[in-house]
Amino acid sequence: MMTRNLLWAVLASSIFSLLTATIFFILDAVDVSLTEAAVGAGIATILFVFTLKHLEINLKKSKSNNTILGLSLIVIVLLVFNLMDDFPRFGESKITQKSNVTEYYLENSNSEMGIPNVVTSILAGYRAFDTLGEVIVIFIAGVSVIGILREEKENE
Amino acid sequence: MSKISIVSIISVLMIPLILIFSLYVQFHGEFSAGGGFQAGVIFASAFILYSLVFGIEKSQSVISLETSQRLMALGLSIYLLVGLIGIMSGANFLDYNVLSANPTSGQMLGIFLVEIGVGLTVANVMIVVFYSFANMKVTKK
Repeated sequence: MMTRNLLWAVLASSIFSLLTATIFFILDAVDVSLTEAAVGAGIATILFVFTLKHLEINLKKSKSNNTILGLSLIVIVLLVFNLMDDFPRFGESKITQKSNVTEYYLENSNSEMGIPNVVTSILAGYRAFDTLGEVIVIFIAGVSVIGILREEKENE
Repeated sequence: MSKISIVSIISVLMIPLILIFSLYVQFHGEFSAGGGFQAGVIFASAFILYSLVFGIEKSQSVISLETSQRLMALGLSIYLLVGLIGIMSGANFLDYNVLSANPTSGQMLGIFLVEIGVGLTVANVMIVVFYSFANMKVTKK
């Protein structure tokens, strides 16, 4: 699907996020699905639309690159089709069952942490330091957005 | 808003449900799907819906930009403090076992507090980013 209208492109990415959230839900990754639906389909779309409102972009029709782009897309799609047999089947987990640490988490997290949700006990318990870094990254992102948009106001 | 539209009626019905659902995801995250990050994002999206329908000024009278910035820092501080309690008690950073006499309940308490910190930070970062984008004024050249 190709469009020159940026608003349509934003809406298409929002719908794509919603479909991805459905796939995550089917694969039993409800946490990821919730995040994808709220961030990808909800908040990111609103921020994109807000930004589009302030931009005055006229995409001039440039037909020179279209053939190269189309040809490279076809090549990539053919390569992916070629490799498709090597992918695991939908919903089948080939990789995780071999790992020792996964087995340890699944067996011991309930008795050590006292909570049945393994995802939460890994994120906030065993890997709490990683989650701390994640929260710091989100915090820095918020602070940077405040800083950038405020400076623009003062210049005015 | 003088005219009552379908959108405003539906969002008045939905916003309390979204807020309650986000609290459910936050505090029931140990037993069902979810956690601090998801709860924060859902909470922020309820606010964003409110300000889209009723205007940014009304929304900022509930949580102002300054309050949101402070809460954002408070969430990260809660997380770091829980980690520092471990060091003060002679254990490792973010070691929850020392938070309570029983290691298992200490882990539960630690995870609970840390998730609250994550939820506060994520929700308020999303609200702050939205407010900043909504108040953005681009200088025309």
